[in-house]
Amino acid sequence: MFNHKLIAHITGTLLLIMTAAMLVPLAVSVATRDGAQYAIALSAVVMLLPALFLRNLWGRKASYTMGHRESFWVTSIIWLVVPLLGSVPFMLSGVLPRFADALFESISGFTTTGSSVIADLSEVPPSILVWRSMTQWIGGLGLILFVIAILKKLTAGSVQLYEAEFSGTMQRKLHPHIAKSVSLMWRIYLLLTVLQFVAMLVCGNGMLESLCLSLSTVSTGGFTTTAGGMAGYSQATLGVVTFFMFLSGVNIALVYHLITGKGRMLWRSEEFHIYVLIYLVAVLGSTAALTTAGNSWQSSLGYSLFHVASTASTCGFYLPNPVHWSVWVSAFTFALIVIGAMSGSTGGGIKIKRIMILTRYVHHYFLRMLHPNAVFTVKVDGETVKVDYINKVFAFVFLYIALIVVGGFLLTLGGLNIPNAVCMAAANISNLGPSPLLNNIGASVDYVALSLSGKCTLMVLMLAGRLEIFAILALLFPIYWKKS
Amino acid sequence: MKPILRILGLLLAVEGALMLLCGLVGLAMHDRTSLTMLPPALFTAAVGLLLCMLFNKNRAIADKRMAYLGVVLFWIALAAFGMLPFLTSHSLGTVADAAFESMSGFASAGATVFQTVAALPPSILLWRSLSQWVGGFGIILLVLAIVPTLGINKYSLYTAEASGADNTGKLTTSMADTIRQTLSVYLCLTLLFIVLLWVDGLTLWQAVNTTFTHISSGGFSIFDDGIASLSHSQQLILLAAMLLSGVNFAFLYHLFTLKFKMLRNKLDQISFYLLLNAAAIVFTSLALHYRMDYGWGDAWRCGAVQSVSVVTTTGTQIADTRLWWPPVTFLFLLLSLCGGMAGSTSGGLKAMRVLILLRNVRNALRNRLHPNAVNPVRLNKKPVSQELITNVMVIFFIYLFTLAVAIFVFLLCGVDATEGIGAAVGCLSGYGPGLGNCGGFGSYAHLAPLVKWVCTTLMLLGRLECLAVYMLLFPAFWRR
Repeated sequence: MFNHKLIAHITGTLLLIMTAAMLVPLAVSVATRDGAQYAIALSAVVMLLPALFLRNLWGRKASYTMGHRESFWVTSIIWLVVPLLGSVPFMLSGVLPRFADALFESISGFTTTGSSVIADLSEVPPSILVWRSMTQWIGGLGLILFVIAILKKLTAGSVQLYEAEFSGTMQRKLHPHIAKSVSLMWRIYLLLTVLQFVAMLVCGNGMLESLCLSLSTVSTGGFTTTAGGMAGYSQATLGVVTFFMFLSGVNIALVYHLITGKGRMLWRSEEFHIYVLIYLVAVLGSTAALTTAGNSWQSSLGYSLFHVASTASTCGFYLPNPVHWSVWVSAFTFALIVIGAMSGSTGGGIKIKRIMILTRYVHHYFLRMLHPNAVFTVKVDGETVKVDYINKVFAFVFLYIALIVVGGFLLTLGGLNIPNAVCMAAANISNLGPSPLLNNIGASVDYVALSLSGKCTLMVLMLAGRLEIFAILALLFPIYWKKS
Repeated sequence: MKPILRILGLLLAVEGALMLLCGLVGLAMHDRTSLTMLPPALFTAAVGLLLCMLFNKNRAIADKRMAYLGVVLFWIALAAFGMLPFLTSHSLGTVADAAFESMSGFASAGATVFQTVAALPPSILLWRSLSQWVGGFGIILLVLAIVPTLGINKYSLYTAEASGADNTGKLTTSMADTIRQTLSVYLCLTLLFIVLLWVDGLTLWQAVNTTFTHISSGGFSIFDDGIASLSHSQQLILLAAMLLSGVNFAFLYHLFTLKFKMLRNKLDQISFYLLLNAAAIVFTSLALHYRMDYGWGDAWRCGAVQSVSVVTTTGTQIADTRLWWPPVTFLFLLLSLCGGMAGSTSGGLKAMRVLILLRNVRNALRNRLHPNAVNPVRLNKKPVSQELITNVMVIFFIYLFTLAVAIFVFLLCGVDATEGIGAAVGCLSGYGPGLGNCGGFGSYAHLAPLVKWVCTTLMLLGRLECLAVYMLLFPAFWRR
C-alpha cells in the first residue's frame, strides 16, 4: 500500500517551516523599508495554504510506515515543491518576473549551486537577498535532514530517507539514533554559521552582508550580495570566507568531532588527508602557474587560496581574474569541481571518497591482472569496501559523467560552444555555480543570457547533482510507479 | 622476451614485403619516387628476417608479463617502421609527422597531417591505405591469434574483443580455422567492394584505395575532399562497407554461411549497434535539413553516410563537417566514443561495453528499491559475470581518464579548447578527424610536434584499449 498520506504530511510540515522561515526576510524588509514587504507576506501566504492543506487535510492521520518507494517519492517531491514555492518571492517582488528565471534562481539556491540569473544585484531589495541566501542555507544540509530532525515519530523511515537523499555515501552516524544524529548535525551547522557571522562582523562588514555571506558559505552555496563576486571585500573578510569554505567541504560529522575535542577522528580520516592534499597541491600549482604567467606571487597566492577553497568545496564564490591568466588554473578548476568535496559535507561533486574507492579499485585491477590468484580488497579507513558497494560507486560515477555529457549536448543545442557547454554542465551538476570558462571564471552573465531550454537543462542538472542522481532518475523507472 | 621477438620478426618481414609491393605498384604506374620505397622495405624485411632467424627456436612463453610488453611493442614497431617511407620519399619532413601518419594508419584511425593528398606519389598513397587495411585486420588477428598464444588471460585484457566475451563467439574451436575464416570474411568483403566500386565507375586504383580505408574503418582518403566528389551511388556503396566494418566478423561469417542459430549470442550487440546508427542518422539528417538548409535528399544521404562513418569510427568525410551545426559535431564525439561492435575493425568503447555500462546503471537503480533482490545484468538473456562488469567499468574509467589527461595536455600546449577536445576524442576513439581545424577536410598539420606525439600515443592507446599500455607503467610490472 503506497502511503501517500505520509508523503503529504511530510511535505506539508516542511512547507510550514518554510513559511516560518519567510518571517526573517519579512522582518528585514520591514526594518530596511525596501518595499518588498507585501510581496514577501503574500509569498508566505501562498506557501502557507498548501502547507495547511497537505499537512492537516490530506496528510491527517498518516501512519508512520515507510517503504523504499515512499522514501524516494518524498525526496523527489520535496525537492520539486519546495523550490517551486521558494521561487514565489522572486516573482512577486518583481526581481525576476519570469517564472522560469525565478524557478532557476530558487533551484540554484536550494541545491546550493549559486548560479544566478539576476542581471543586476544592486537593484535587488535586501530582503530578497536574504531570502536568496536562506534558500541555500536551508538546502545546505539537505531538505530531508530537516524532516528527519523534526518528525521524531518517523523512526524506521528516517534511515531510508537519509539514504535516499545521500545515496549511501557510507556515513558513520554520529549517534545510533538517526534523529539524534541529525539534530547534532544541524547544531554544528548552525554553530558554524553563527561563528562566521560574528567573524564577518568583526572584520567590519555590515549586518546584511555578513548574514547573507555566512548563510551562503557554510552551505557551500555561493550567492553573493554584490555584482562582481567577492571583489569589494577586505583581505580579512576574504580570509574568513576562505576558512569557512574550506571547513564546509569537510564531512560535517568530522567537524563535530573536531569541535567536541576529538580531533584524532579528523586526522585519522583518509578522505580528509586527500582533501587537504588536493587543496595544497592545487594552491601550490595554481600559485606557481599564475606567478610564472606574470602576476606577483602575493596576489597569485591570495587568489589561489581563495579560489581553490571555493572550488574544492564547490562553494562557487569568485574573485576578479588575475591580470595574467594561466590555462593551468582552468585545468585545476575543472578537475576540482568534478572531484568535489568530502562525502557527508554540504559540498557537491562526485565526492572524494568515491574517487578514492574508484582509483584504488582500478589500481587493484591492474595488480590482479599481473597476479591472477592474489586476493585484493579495497579499504578505506581500514574498513573493507564490499564489492556491491564498489559497483554502486562505479554506476554513480558513470551516471554523473553521462549527465555532464548529455547536459553539455543539450546546452550546445541552445547555441553554446562545446567546451563552454561541458564546463557549464559540470559546474552545475557539481553545485558549484559560476562555470569555469576557459579563461574567465565566474560571472553570472553566462546564465542571464542562456536560452530557456538551457535553463531547464541546468535546473535538472542541479537537482540531479544535489540528490546524487539516483533519487531523481529513479522516478523515470516504471518499477517505482507500480503498485507492490 | 625471445618468443615475442620471433613474432615481431614475422610481422616486420610481412610489413617489409607490403612496402615492397607498394613500391612495385608505384613503379608500374610510372612513378619515379616509388624507388624511395625500396630502402625502407628492404631494411624492414631484413630486420624482420634477422629476428626470425635469431629466435627461431623460442616458441614457449616463459613470462606472462612479457606478453603485455609484446602486444604494445608490436604496434609501436609496425608504426615505427611504417613511417620510414614517408621520410625517405620526403612527403613528410619531421619524425613527429611521419610517426603520426603511420600510427594513424596502423591504428586505422584516419587522422592525417597531409593538408593535401592530391600531389602525393601513388606508392605513398597506397602505403597509407594499405597500412589501414593491415591495421584494421591486425587488431582482430592480434586478439584472435597472437594474444592467446602469448598466454594472456583474454578476460582481463580484451574481454569484449573479437572472440566475444562469453567465449562462445569463437568461429570454431580450432584457432587456425578461426583465423582463416575471419580472414576470408575480410578478404571477401574487400574484394566485393573493390568490384562494386569499380563497376560503379571508379578507376581500379581509386576503388582499391577507397575500399582498403573503409572496410578497415580507417578513413584515409586519396581525395582532398573526402568522398564528397564521388557519385551518390558510390557513396552509398561505401556506406554499406562502413556499416559492415562495424559488425563483429564472426557474426558476419555466420550470417553469410546462413548459420542463423549462431547469431543468437550477438543479438543484443547488433541491435544496439544498429539502433545507434539509426538514431544518429535521424538526428543528423533532421539537423542538416532544418538547421543547415540541405534539401531532403542531400540531408538524408549526407546524414546517413557521415553518421555511419562516425559510429564505426571510420572518419571519412562526405562534406566539410567543420561547418556543421555544433550539436551535431558534439553528438559525433559521443558516438565515436561508443564505436561499433566488438570483434570488428572499428574503435571506440564498443557496443557491448556501452550496453553493459547502461544495464549496470539500470540495475543499480532497481536495487535501490529492492535491495535484496538478485538481479544480474544480462546480455543476450544470459547473466553477465561480475568479472566482466568490473572489467568494462575499469576500461571505461581508464578511457575517460586518458581523455581528460590528453585534453589538459592539449590545453597546456596552447591548443584551442574545442580543437583539443576534438583531437583527443578523434585520436583515442579511432575516428580520426577532430573539431575545428583538425576536423572536416582539415588536418592535424598545424599542431605543435608535442601535441602530435600525444595524438600518436592516443591512437595507440585507443587501438589497444588502454589496459595493456598502462600495465607497462606499473612498477609492479617490472619488479621481479
